[in-house]
Amino acid sequence: MERQIINKKKRVFSVEPNKIPPSEVFTRKYTSLLVPALKKLNMNKNSSQVNQLTVKHEVDMALALSAQEFAWSRFLLQKLSSSNNPTTTTSSSSNGIRIQERSGKEGGHEDGEREEKLRELQKLLPGGEEMNVEEMLGEIGNYIKCLELQTIALKSIVQDTT
Amino acid sequence: MDLSVLERVKWLQQQQMVSPEFFEILGSDGREELRRVESYLGNNNDELQSFRHYETIDGCISRTSSFQMEQVKNNEENRVIALQNKRKTEGKTEKRENKKKKIKTEDETESSMKGKSNMSNSETSSEIEKRDYIHVRARRGEATDRHSLAERARREKLSKKMKCLQDIVPGCNKVTGKAGMLDEIINYVQSLQQQVEFLSMKLSVLNPELEFHINELSTKQFQACFTDLPEAVSKQSMMVDASSFPLHQTTSLDYSVKNSNQTISLGSKEQTSWEIHSQCLYNNLRTDSVSNFFSFK
Repeated sequence: MERQIINKKKRVFSVEPNKIPPSEVFTRKYTSLLVPALKKLNMNKNSSQVNQLTVKHEVDMALALSAQEFAWSRFLLQKLSSSNNPTTTTSSSSNGIRIQERSGKEGGHEDGEREEKLRELQKLLPGGEEMNVEEMLGEIGNYIKCLELQTIALKSIVQDTT
Repeated sequence: MDLSVLERVKWLQQQQMVSPEFFEILGSDGREELRRVESYLGNNNDELQSFRHYETIDGCISRTSSFQMEQVKNNEENRVIALQNKRKTEGKTEKRENKKKKIKTEDETESSMKGKSNMSNSETSSEIEKRDYIHVRARRGEATDRHSLAERARREKLSKKMKCLQDIVPGCNKVTGKAGMLDEIINYVQSLQQQVEFLSMKLSVLNPELEFHINELSTKQFQACFTDLPEAVSKQSMMVDASSFPLHQTTSLDYSVKNSNQTISLGSKEQTSWEIHSQCLYNNLRTDSVSNFFSFK
């Protein structure tokens, strides 16, 4: 049974990578990154309790490394590698790129709202503040998908071990 | 917006789209012709506004030249030019050339033009237009200068992306308007991030008791989880592909699963700094040294 699974998994990555749905690729990468990391964490820190932050660090790291095609993963990696103690600080650039939406149809008030929201969205996305609006909107889509897949992977890991 | 064609041409010239030579070519007779053209085109302002210059002006110009084609059946040149201009961004010279030819054909067939035939021709030409060309139209009453057109194109791009996001984020369909949708998107992203945090907390709590066995995470489990995702997953894969998900470059992640030792080999061709970092990461995993794991730079 184990052999079969091994073979199955080996087969998936072999000849025709184009036929694998990207979501599956991502999830596999993610779990294969995260699980050993957690295991090592577990093994290493058997004396002290496993720090929540380090686990979060690993989780984020796995996310960033599994999705290296996207711009936001680069920023995430930068953030993670620049701080050994993972915190929730934002990136160094404090001036976000000013979102300018000139619209002749809507009133200025609505524009302000929309700008604010776009700025909030920028903050949520790692590295969002350094992108322009169009780029950010595209990256948000990818980010959302990867987050979804990440939650699925995490759920299955947690389920698996309880 | 009932500018006469002459005035419009002058306006175009001011916008540096038509060179002064054009007017010389026109001459006095040409200007008369232009006036006649206007009457032939009728009161349909949309048609007249096809003189607007924008990136896809080739469509407009070709349309006008194909417009001529319906009336001038013996002029093959215009048709060739119309076909050649499909979706190309024209240089100024080409546009001028087309205009010249248009005017010339006007000269030739002046006598055969009639009002009724024009209207029917305009319909057929619009059919041709739809088949062949894509262009941005200045709608009635909207500003038509370069900046507004560019702005409008930008807005359309943004709205396209918003639509994509609408497909991805569940529950966005009910909300209308950009602000509402942005709200939804923000909430969704926040909730996803919170979920991830919660799960990682859970993991950290459970961690000491865990035994990780990848072989237990079978494909079935994953697929069961995937069906929970909304339909948009398939669309997402398209979007992901569009963002150049380099599957061909990705790695042969063949990992041999054993109970005790889990080794992962990663082959990567890209040589950016973070790729190197990840390779170091994997090297460290392979060599089983954890100390480097957290402190790579």
